[in-house]
Amino acid sequence: MSDFLKVKDLEVIYTQAGRTVHAVNGVSLEVRKGHTLGLVGETGAGKTTIAKAILRILPDPPAKIKRGEILLDGEDLLKKPESEMLQVRGGKIAMIFQDPMTALNPLMTVGDQILEVLTLHNDYDIKTGMKKAGEMLETVGIPAERYGEYPHQFSGGMKQRVVIAMALACNPELLLADEPTTALDVTIQAQVLDLINELKEKFQTSMILITHDLGVIAQTCENVAVIYAGSIVESGTREDIFDHPTHPYTIGLFESLPNMTAEGEKLKPIAGMPPDPTDLPEGCAFAPRCPYATEECRRRKPEMKELSPGHLCACFNRNEPGTLKGGA
Amino acid sequence: MANELIRVEHLKKYFKVPAGTNHAVDDVSFTIARGETLGVVGESGCGKSTLGRTIIHLLESTDGKIFLNDKDITHVNKAELKALREKMQIVFQDPYSSLNPRLRIENTVIEPLKMSGRFHSKAELKAEANKLMELVGIDERLREAYPHELDGGRRQRVCIARALALNPEFIVCDEPVSALDVSIQAAVLNLLQELQQKMGMAYMFVTHDLSVVKHISDNICVMYLGQLVEKAPTKELFAHTLHPYTKALLSAIPSTDIHHPMQRIRLKGEITSPINPKPGCRFAARCPYATEACQQPQKLEEVSAGHFVSCCRIHEIGE
Repeated sequence: MSDFLKVKDLEVIYTQAGRTVHAVNGVSLEVRKGHTLGLVGETGAGKTTIAKAILRILPDPPAKIKRGEILLDGEDLLKKPESEMLQVRGGKIAMIFQDPMTALNPLMTVGDQILEVLTLHNDYDIKTGMKKAGEMLETVGIPAERYGEYPHQFSGGMKQRVVIAMALACNPELLLADEPTTALDVTIQAQVLDLINELKEKFQTSMILITHDLGVIAQTCENVAVIYAGSIVESGTREDIFDHPTHPYTIGLFESLPNMTAEGEKLKPIAGMPPDPTDLPEGCAFAPRCPYATEECRRRKPEMKELSPGHLCACFNRNEPGTLKGGA
Repeated sequence: MANELIRVEHLKKYFKVPAGTNHAVDDVSFTIARGETLGVVGESGCGKSTLGRTIIHLLESTDGKIFLNDKDITHVNKAELKALREKMQIVFQDPYSSLNPRLRIENTVIEPLKMSGRFHSKAELKAEANKLMELVGIDERLREAYPHELDGGRRQRVCIARALALNPEFIVCDEPVSALDVSIQAAVLNLLQELQQKMGMAYMFVTHDLSVVKHISDNICVMYLGQLVEKAPTKELFAHTLHPYTKALLSAIPSTDIHHPMQRIRLKGEITSPINPKPGCRFAARCPYATEACQQPQKLEEVSAGHFVSCCRIHEIGE
C-alpha cells in the first residue's frame, strides 16, 4: 500500500488565557496517492487545525504541536526547517480555504495572485508565468481575458475558482480543501465539486477534503474519517461509513440529517453538546451524549480497533460493523 | 380561503442602487393558511429574505398588497405597526448578531412582554418569561446568562422564545438553522414543529436548504431572482418537479446515497444580476431548455390543483 501522507498520533493544543484547549488529540490518518480522504465533523472538532498543522501554518503561540509525525512520502514535515517548508507550501502541498472572500488579496489582480505562486516555485520569466497563470484560469473555467480583474469583480463561485486555480498552479501532490464549497450556493457548489473531481483525476492529486456535509463526502471521497472533539472516532472506505456506520456518533450524524427520500419523520438530534475542549471528559469524549455509554466509557478512552479490513472504530460497545443504511 | 392568514398580492420591493434599480422582490403573490408552514427556497440573492422582511414591515413594500386576516396592512401608521408586531414576528439567521450582547437572556425575552403593556408587575413579567424559556428548553440556570455564554443552538432558542413572547399568529423564520451544526439543527427544527402543533402559528420558512424545507413545509415556493418560478404542496413539488430551475436545484444537492449517484443537471454560469432585469424568463440565461419564446414575460400558471409553474416550455420538457 502506498500511503502518500501519513499523520501519526498528532496532538495540537492552543493556550488561551492560561487555559489549554485540546484541539487535536492523537489523530492518525493516511491518504493514498490519487485518493481523497473526507474528514467530517462538527464546528470545533479540530478539522481545520489538522490541515493547518500539516502545512505548519498554525500560529505559534497560541497553537503548539505537542507530538506526532506528519510523513509526506516518508519525510517528516514537522522536522523540516522553515526554509524547506516554504518550498512545500504551495508547491507539494496546497490548501483551498473555506472563505473565498477573504482568501484573496483585494488589491491584487486575480492573475497576478496566481502568477505569484507560479514564480515562487518555478524559474519562469514573467512572460511564461503570465501565460501559465492565464492557462490556470482557463482550467478552472474563467476566460484568460479576466486576468487583470480584481477579486471584487468576481462572484463567490468565481472567486473560489480563482482560489482553486492558485492551489493547483504548481501541480501539488496533496491538496487540503477546507470546506471549499460551504460558502457557496448548491448549484455553484455542484459546479465546484465537479471541477475539483475533474482536476483531481487529471493531475492525480491526493486530497483531504474537510467538510461537515455528509452529502459532499458521499459524492467526492474514497475514504472517510469521522472526527469528534479532536479525535478520530471512525474511519474506513466510503462504503464502510455510509453503508455500515458503526460509531454511535457517526450514526447520530446520519440520523439528524433531514432526509430527502423518507417522508416527514421526526428528526433524531444527538442529545447534548460537544464537550468543552478545555475540559475534555476523562474517558470517551462522546460518552456524555452517547445512548450506549457505560461506566467503562466514562473511565477510559477507547482505542481505534479494526472491525473489518480498513474499517476502524473507537468504541468499547461496538465490535461489529453497523448495519444501518446511509441516511435511513 | 376561510382559513387564510396572510395574503400577498403582486408584492414588489425595489431598491435604488447606483447602477439602477434592484428588483429584489418582483410581483410575488401567495397565501399562507393558519397553522401552515410555507417554505421559500432559493439561492443567495434571490430575494427570499427581503420577501419575508417586507411582509412583516421591516422593509416598506414598493408596490402590491399585503393582507393579514383579510385586512389590508400594506400601509400602516406607527400605532398600527406596533399592534402588528405582536402578531407577526421573525427569527433571524444568525443567533450571534440578533441578540443584544449586553442584555441577559431573560431580559431579552422580557422586552417584548414589557412593550405589550399586558403585564403589570416585575413578578408577572418574570413568570411569563420563565414560562417561555421552559417552552423552548432553556435551562433555568442559564436565564441570567449573557448571549456570549450560550452556544448557537441555545441562542437560537432564545430568539425563538422572544419571537413567541406575544403569541404571534405568524413567524418568519429566516434561515434559522443555517448557522448551526446538523446535530443541533435537528433539535431546533423539532422544536419549531412542536411549538407549531402546540400554539398553531403559521411559519414562513426561508432557506436555501431543500432537505430542510422539505422536512418542515406544507407548501413550497421556489424563488429565482425576485420571482416565484414554482409553487406547490410539498409532496406534489417533489413528486412532480416541473420548473427547470427547481429540477436543477434538486439535482445539485449532494446525496448521501453512495449507490445511486444522482443525475446532475449542470447549470451554466451563475445567478445574473437583479439590477434592471430584462423582461422574459430570468432563468433563461442558465436554462438548458431556453428558446426564443423564453424572452417573453412568463406567467405563473396552475398546471394541476395547487401546483403553479412559471415556464412556457414545461409541456415540451416533461417531468
